[in-house]
Amino acid sequence: MGFTQVYDYVAGKLDWLAAGGPIEGTGAGRPRAGEVARGDVPTCALDEHLGEVQGRVRAAGWDACVVVNQERVVLGLLRAKELEGDPASRIEAAMRPGPSTFRPHVPIAEMAHRMVEHDLENAPITTSDGRLVGLLRRADAVRTAHELHQAEGDSS
Amino acid sequence: MTQAAPVVDCAACDKAIDCCEFCDRPGCPAAICYRCLGVALGQAAPGLHDHGG
Repeated sequence: MGFTQVYDYVAGKLDWLAAGGPIEGTGAGRPRAGEVARGDVPTCALDEHLGEVQGRVRAAGWDACVVVNQERVVLGLLRAKELEGDPASRIEAAMRPGPSTFRPHVPIAEMAHRMVEHDLENAPITTSDGRLVGLLRRADAVRTAHELHQAEGDSS
Repeated sequence: MTQAAPVVDCAACDKAIDCCEFCDRPGCPAAICYRCLGVALGQAAPGLHDHGG
């Protein structure tokens, strides 16, 4: 067939997608969670104190912060409620540990629909080995899904 | 004394779970289990048919 370089990706197609690898075919150009998630979300470490983090997060204009380790693996999440806690408390005690995370290849319309259904303000997007890609905000997901819906309606 | 975990049923397969895998809330009215959520979002492959066909 003329292919000179062929590889067998042993971990499988789902792992490739979950790692944010390039894809082709129908729907490849549709926006996905990893593209809409904000990579500039504030992060903090387990051994920090909430007071330091509160100031940093507010200064950056956010109401959420992702707790990561040195490899940027997600350990926890501070949503608005957790960020209102005692400034003297350690992040380890203040955070919501082990939050549900989602892979970058999940279609944005699916995430938007479920975030509205579950009244979820934001969702961490990670690779399959847990490394932070970004935080998906519901407003961003809904807006992008709406734009996609309109664009597909216009083209049909 | 340990407190019993709250139980909710997965809206897709009726499996009893401690909390919703999507939003982490124990009382979620649209709760979904880890397996069903993974399949719904394309994060996991659906299970094989029991009959093998």
